[in-house]
Amino acid sequence: MPGASSTARWDPLVRLTHWGIAAAVVANGLLSEEGSAVHVWIGYAAGALLAVRLLWGGVGTRSARFSSFPPSPRAAVRHIRDMAARTHVEHRSHNPLGALMVYALWAALAVVVASGIAMDQSGAVGRHAVAASERSTEDEELESEHAEAEHGDGEGSAAGEMIEEVHEIAANLLFLLAALHVAGVAFESRRVGGGLVGAMITGRRKPRSAGG
Amino acid sequence: MARSPKRRATLIAAIVCLQAVAAVFFIVDAVRDFRESGADLHLVIEFVIAVALVVGVILNGLELRELLADARRAEATIQAASGAMGELMQLRFREWSLTAAEADVALLALKGLTIEDIARLRQAAAGTVRAQLTRVYAKAGVNSRTALLSLFVDDLLAEPLHLAD
Repeated sequence: MPGASSTARWDPLVRLTHWGIAAAVVANGLLSEEGSAVHVWIGYAAGALLAVRLLWGGVGTRSARFSSFPPSPRAAVRHIRDMAARTHVEHRSHNPLGALMVYALWAALAVVVASGIAMDQSGAVGRHAVAASERSTEDEELESEHAEAEHGDGEGSAAGEMIEEVHEIAANLLFLLAALHVAGVAFESRRVGGGLVGAMITGRRKPRSAGG
Repeated sequence: MARSPKRRATLIAAIVCLQAVAAVFFIVDAVRDFRESGADLHLVIEFVIAVALVVGVILNGLELRELLADARRAEATIQAASGAMGELMQLRFREWSLTAAEADVALLALKGLTIEDIARLRQAAAGTVRAQLTRVYAKAGVNSRTALLSLFVDDLLAEPLHLAD
């Protein structure tokens, strides 16, 4: 029975973690105040979802497992050649280029989360976050500036500043990768005839029409 | 359980995500409280809740994996069965020496389409379809659609399907 069983399917945990992390990245990148309690908690939530997804990559369903999309530059090159030759090979999980993107996104996100946790735990934003969660949002901004000033000239501020730098650079890298990821999905959707986004929403990829 | 496996799987996955997020929140909060006021009853409670949540994540994850594996197996069985059914039909249609048109009509009839639907699909008159179907019944040695269908079901149920998995 070729066809039906060979198309990629994403199980519900893959889809929920994907969209959950996407929402968290958008929220913390564009909407929430940097260093605010909301920003910190969304970051922790994203970290939790990433942890779940990584565990699932070890023990989850077939197409969710790392073994279904090993990071292989050689396969990626082959995939680029397929693209250039306008041939299409079905992959049951991510295509090789997509797989590299997935690992890059995870790595960037892991660095963002880890540096965020480091900042929070070292108290750069932590005490403020606790305090702010008990106050109104109007106080929050003042508090934020106050907290930064308070801890900016404290002990170990050089290390703190470096972590902050890492956090910012990794976050910007994450946005760049996310933009590339969206562009890649759009490109691949056009190339193979759609269904990629639908697959991540409903879990099923519709069989391609003959036209392709 | 009226809920379909698919919806159950989605629900469990959502619970896994929520539990994981909640576990991290409790752990982070416990660490903060410990720094601020040391160990006390409040902290112990938070710790117990965090452990319970982590255990819940693991158990639900395993449950989800089982559920999805079951769903996959069921789907493979149906695919194998429908493949076997298709092969069996072709075999019987040849045995009965149905014409191409009769085989088409027989297949659509077995799929449960009405005479009118079949006529519309084949752009033929309902009378033609009815006549073709009667010839199919005659060749197969039955006198109704149900009897025709039961010929195949009998064959398929005679022995369990051997699935190549």
